[in-house]
Amino acid sequence: MNGHIPFGVADYFWDEASRRQSLLDQLMETFRGWGYGDVIPPMFEFDSTLSAQYDDRLRSGMYRFLDRDGSTLSLRPEFTTPVARLVGARLHDWPMPQRFCYGGSVFRYLEPQAGRQREFWQVGGELFGAPSPDADAEILALTATALKVAGLTQFRQIVGHIRYYRSLLEALQLDPQQTQQLQWALERKSEPLLEEFLRVTPLRTGQRQAVETLPQLVGENVDGILSLAERHIQNRGMHEALQNLRGIVDALRGYDIQDSFVIDLTEIRNLGYYTGVSFEAVTPGLGTAVASGGRYDDLVGRFGPPQPAVGVALGVDRLLVARQRQDGHGAAYGRQRIQPALALPQGSPDALAQVQRLRQAGLHVQVDVNSWPLDAAFDYAAETDISDVLLWEDGFQHHRRDEQGDFVLLGPLEMSRLSGRTAKCREEPSK
Amino acid sequence: MTSTVAAPRRRPAEIIEQSQPSAANGQTKQSLLFALPKGRLAQDSLSFLEQSGLSIPTDTESRKLILPAADGSIGFVMAKPRDVPTYVEHGAADLGICGLDVVRETDRAVYEPLLLPFGHCRLSVAGPAGAAGVTPAESVEAADLALKPASSAHMPGTPLRYMSQPRIATEYPRLTRRFFAERGVNAEIIALGGSVELGPILGLADLIVDVVQTGTTLRMNGLVEIRTILESQAVLVVNRASYQLKAAEINRIIKRMRLLTT
Repeated sequence: MNGHIPFGVADYFWDEASRRQSLLDQLMETFRGWGYGDVIPPMFEFDSTLSAQYDDRLRSGMYRFLDRDGSTLSLRPEFTTPVARLVGARLHDWPMPQRFCYGGSVFRYLEPQAGRQREFWQVGGELFGAPSPDADAEILALTATALKVAGLTQFRQIVGHIRYYRSLLEALQLDPQQTQQLQWALERKSEPLLEEFLRVTPLRTGQRQAVETLPQLVGENVDGILSLAERHIQNRGMHEALQNLRGIVDALRGYDIQDSFVIDLTEIRNLGYYTGVSFEAVTPGLGTAVASGGRYDDLVGRFGPPQPAVGVALGVDRLLVARQRQDGHGAAYGRQRIQPALALPQGSPDALAQVQRLRQAGLHVQVDVNSWPLDAAFDYAAETDISDVLLWEDGFQHHRRDEQGDFVLLGPLEMSRLSGRTAKCREEPSK
Repeated sequence: MTSTVAAPRRRPAEIIEQSQPSAANGQTKQSLLFALPKGRLAQDSLSFLEQSGLSIPTDTESRKLILPAADGSIGFVMAKPRDVPTYVEHGAADLGICGLDVVRETDRAVYEPLLLPFGHCRLSVAGPAGAAGVTPAESVEAADLALKPASSAHMPGTPLRYMSQPRIATEYPRLTRRFFAERGVNAEIIALGGSVELGPILGLADLIVDVVQTGTTLRMNGLVEIRTILESQAVLVVNRASYQLKAAEINRIIKRMRLLTT
């Protein structure tokens, strides 16, 4: 028993744990405020359920193991598929739309040098049964709201539409190798690779121009980019994709968050199951996305009657890092400065009754269970950053640690003096 | 208590933030941080940036980790070439320059908008010249040692897929494994940190995979090139988030550089 833990998982404790938990709570509460109801899917389920719709990258990153009866199980690598399964298989006859939100750990096998944990936390929401741009807009607006709730002040949502690219591919009728080449060029935003593709691939003029224009379909000028893209439409699918994006932009007007949007029609590096709009949220100081989501109209139908769906997942770990970078905080570990008050009941039942009343009033109080003398209590309090020590003498006497670290008797406990301190201790982690 | 919870992901940026001179703090927050490779590509990278009209640091020999440009507009980190894509992927730097060989080997999720007109070389498979029926000009002793590998044919013109389990010394384990795997060969990769030419001489490996510029080093060690895996040159890499968040500044730089590359 060496006490080690496997690579890629972590113990969170003290401030880091409370910050994490309270961020999760705040985000969940935000989703609930928009009418999303809690769902808690299992942590593992049949591999065939989870992996069917994933791309190779995600599939190769799943933790798989054998059940005792020989069936293959996987730890959930995200929440969308389990929730889609629930709606498709069990809740298909409940009135649509249905809104669900979730929060918890997901698991992915990542190379050690990837610099990420293998168990990480997500909070997200899924909206089933609405194909309209208004539903897409709701998810985008909700994401922006959640990011603000998480304390991020500067972020961008990069919005793409997988249908635009897939329809373009249909029009171009490329062989798999050419497709690979184009995809690689776009994923890496590489001009030389795109030029190379254009050089070796015979295309009609209109098609060639559509491909040549792709790198320009990126930026803040949403209207201009959509107009430019419209000039290079090759088929109905591309047209509908752009119409859909216009609809989403229109539907977003009421939310007043349009300034955080960037269009990127070449952003195609994404989970395999998206069928429409897809997006990622990025923030300064963090190289990777803090949230990603999109429309997946084909997923629920794998488990029951088809339903259009759109959703988002936010990375709690990344949000914590991003917020810390943004606020210029130090490392995210340590202890909150103010700890719950320590009460010494001195064996008196009345003291415990009084502590219960304090707790009911919303104060955080820990009770001495070692029958410490006052000195021992002060030592413990000083070492663990407790500022308030309450000693029972037919009523609590309030000792407060001063700036020098010495405990000073303030007199009989007045709840208001204590509440000011401990209420802060409850709020502290959420800031 | 520190070591348990400090996730490795935070390290690069933390080190940078801490070692940053306080004066540079405000400016790096909004403007750009550029990761440049130490060593072979360093001088070419700086001259290229200067030609592109960017202000470059005046004192590159400084031991400071972050160098401000002469006009303070951009910060520069001189990083080990292998670390450049890592810095950029994690957003510790917004942009970087490194070899395409390194970008492909490290396989980090970065954008690579431009190839730059310097640092040309190729990543090649090389083997002992003796085995190919050519007597090496240099050292007979080395040639004797080079004959030691018992593996099957690795002459030029012989398909590599005839080899059963070649032992290959390289600084590029990922690209090497993939190159041989594509030919159905399950190579034994011996990952080294440098001087891979020694591999065949010492009998450590049958072949090497390494970067070749002129071929002199290979010849001096009695090795000949057998295959080219990758034609490499310098490449501009950009962080995916910065590309959107600092689009105006980054596009301006790309535009200037493009003028010199076409």
